[in-house]
Amino acid sequence: MDFLQKTIELFTTERYVESLFSGLWMTVVISVAAAVLGLILGSVVALVTIAPKSRAIVLPKALCKVYITIIRGTPMALQLFIMAYVIFAIRGFPPVVTAILAFGINSGAYVAENIRAGILSVDKGQTEAGRALGLTGATTMLRIVIPQAIKNVLPAIGNELIALIKETSIVSMIGMYDLTMAAQVIGGGNNMASYVVPMTAAALFYLAIVYLLTFCIKLIERRLRAGDQR
Amino acid sequence: MISVKNLYKDFGKLRVLSGLSLDIKRGERVVLIGPSGSGKSTLLRCLNQMEEPTYGEVWLEDSLLTAPDPYLHFDIIRASRTYQKLVAKGMSDTDCIQKIKAEDLLKKHEGKAYHSMMKTLEKENRIDINLARQRMGMVFQHFNLFANMTVMQNLTLAPIKLKNKTPAEAEAKAMELLTRIGLADKRDVYPSTLSGGQKQRIAIVRALCMEPEVLLFDEPTSALDPEMVGEVLDVMKSLADEGMTMIVVTHEMGFAREVADRVLFMDEGQIVEEAPPAELFANPQNERTKSFLSKVL
Repeated sequence: MDFLQKTIELFTTERYVESLFSGLWMTVVISVAAAVLGLILGSVVALVTIAPKSRAIVLPKALCKVYITIIRGTPMALQLFIMAYVIFAIRGFPPVVTAILAFGINSGAYVAENIRAGILSVDKGQTEAGRALGLTGATTMLRIVIPQAIKNVLPAIGNELIALIKETSIVSMIGMYDLTMAAQVIGGGNNMASYVVPMTAAALFYLAIVYLLTFCIKLIERRLRAGDQR
Repeated sequence: MISVKNLYKDFGKLRVLSGLSLDIKRGERVVLIGPSGSGKSTLLRCLNQMEEPTYGEVWLEDSLLTAPDPYLHFDIIRASRTYQKLVAKGMSDTDCIQKIKAEDLLKKHEGKAYHSMMKTLEKENRIDINLARQRMGMVFQHFNLFANMTVMQNLTLAPIKLKNKTPAEAEAKAMELLTRIGLADKRDVYPSTLSGGQKQRIAIVRALCMEPEVLLFDEPTSALDPEMVGEVLDVMKSLADEGMTMIVVTHEMGFAREVADRVLFMDEGQIVEEAPPAELFANPQNERTKSFLSKVL
């Protein structure tokens, strides 16, 4: 009965609702912006890493390799701290931007590897057929390989986005007010004095976001699989 | 129409083609046969530069497709400092050329003059490989139809992109060819719903939509179920009857006998024997040809 009472209290007290939803908003903003940044960055990095060898591309290729190695080899929390306390340790620099950059850059490395794997998974014969017709490498990539690669990488990208959304919960470590932080603050408050209810509520919010995302990805996937054998 | 001069292809330490030369005339139907690993497919893929040859030149009429090979152009050798030095020592012209070729002296030791000569040669003769490929269609063993496109999109992508055709023109041409092979009703399906024979016939049509001057077939029936081989061979025969220049790598000896103007038997990266099919099948001269034919016929 206590649980029910506290739940009612959580959703009827204006102060709690406000703080819960402002936390949710922060989580969504960081996730969406970081996802967009990560996808763009990841696509560019993936294309550079698979580009045919030539003198002009050697340096960018090496940089991309270093980027992927460092980002995947160090903890996310540490990257966030470095962003917040070293690189953007400027007074008045909006912490949201810091968080978006940190998560976007982190996500980009994983997305790049996923996309690279997706492009490599497309049968070499597809490229050969395109080139044999006289199409340029770029046209073949754009019209034939990438559409098929997108279909292949979609599940992996979905995974990455889900991980990203949940990982944003660590922004509380640099003092930002996201969904997790909101639940913590509400639970620790004088009146509520219980973590169970706000934490459960926050968990359900995360679950809802992730479920929505999964649903969208499934929808897109079904669309793209129109050309496959059923 | 296509000439291959002194072609070498190495995969790492493995030499797949060793010093192969070949001339193919317009309208000729050439069939390449030979044991697996003899370099038939590699030769075919070197013709349209799907594989880059290690040495040697491939010409499509007056256009050079490969990087120029210094050892084919004696005037380049003669202009080199190495040659001059050797002559000064009293060596004869042929000996000099032999020595330079054998010891690979040009690439290592010649400086600017040599490089500028090669550049000129390249500039005067070499053409953009994508333009050349538009003129030489290729049909693959595994069809390689674009999986993300319908049959019609497969057929019209390249003509619209490269030949400046309007979609309507390209579709009209594609429909005409599809009707000819009896697959007009498949225009809007995806390749995954087709049988192997249908896929390969459509792959042939895709190559034809670019109106190529020569068609390269890389074992077009090897991935097919036996009962589908016939339908693909029929399409190829009708193309042959129309006078299309064709170079075919195949294990279908019946097709070779019926259609080819010339059959080339390849082994260990070289053309061992070449003759019209009647002659080659009935009366092979070379020992290796004999033993190969006795196994497959």
